[in-house]
Amino acid sequence: MERNQSRRQIAVTRQSLFDQGFLDEQFVQLEELQDDANPNFVEEIATLYYRDSSRLINNLEQALEKSPLDFNKLDNYMHQLKGSSTSIGAKKVKAECTQFREYCRTGNGEGCVRTFQQLKKEYGLLKRKLEAYFQMVRQAGPSQVACRPK
Amino acid sequence: MDGDGFLPGEFPAGLRVLLVDGDPISLVIVKKLLRTSLYEGHILQLFLQNATEQKRLCPCLERRKMGLILLCVMFTCLAWIGLKFLDCVEREMDIPVIILSADEGDDDLLKSVIHGTSAFYVKPVCPRLVQSISEHVFRKKVKEWRALNKSTLPSEHFQIMGQICSKDIDTV
Repeated sequence: MERNQSRRQIAVTRQSLFDQGFLDEQFVQLEELQDDANPNFVEEIATLYYRDSSRLINNLEQALEKSPLDFNKLDNYMHQLKGSSTSIGAKKVKAECTQFREYCRTGNGEGCVRTFQQLKKEYGLLKRKLEAYFQMVRQAGPSQVACRPK
Repeated sequence: MDGDGFLPGEFPAGLRVLLVDGDPISLVIVKKLLRTSLYEGHILQLFLQNATEQKRLCPCLERRKMGLILLCVMFTCLAWIGLKFLDCVEREMDIPVIILSADEGDDDLLKSVIHGTSAFYVKPVCPRLVQSISEHVFRKKVKEWRALNKSTLPSEHFQIMGQICSKDIDTV
């Protein structure tokens, strides 16, 4: 009985991540790659993503403190962050990356700073939600498999 | 020769793939995709993030007889490294190159076509990539066959790959 309840909870939580626009279809692709050989594949990808993103966010932070701003450098970092966000399906973060790069292109320093703050917020939120979601999945036990809504 | 006995529609066994990317997440995903598609060959992965590493690429290719290259480079100032590499591959080795890009820019597409890549594929990485790989390697095999045999392949070889390939065969 409890098992069913927690499975339902997991499914509801998972669906809300899509409904609220945090994740897109790419996340489902990753889930479909998960199998017996790699039962925690998606969580491993997420862990890689946190590590890679925090490195890039640090770099961006430092670069944004310089004066004058080096837009090429900023764009390079953001391109990388966009790439990894795309690979995991981080929809909102990816949108902020795109917006930031647009400001880089037009040399709009204020726009970059503003967007970066927004990006950090979105990233922080996504990370918390994903961590909570994976914890639920782990607690439900090894037979729990994310299922795709029909 | 790599991929002997390879039928279209099947993933070429023993194909040596060089996977070049600066994004560690994308690397893991592509590798998983290839493994899931029952690909058992050798995957060599390289981070391409600066000019020093690029210099090692061409010699590495020659030594290890790669069958396919999946290349993800940032098409910004750093990217000229990637394009020089493409020139080297194109001129000297005739290995199919598929570009994986995080950007949809038309500029990038044009540049990569000029430099002779087989395909330009926008990330995120998903199973269609495997189909694309299969298709491009197959195309190269047909080219090789024709060069050797001065004739077309028997038509039953085309059936499995379907419409896409039979349309393209005449222009290969």
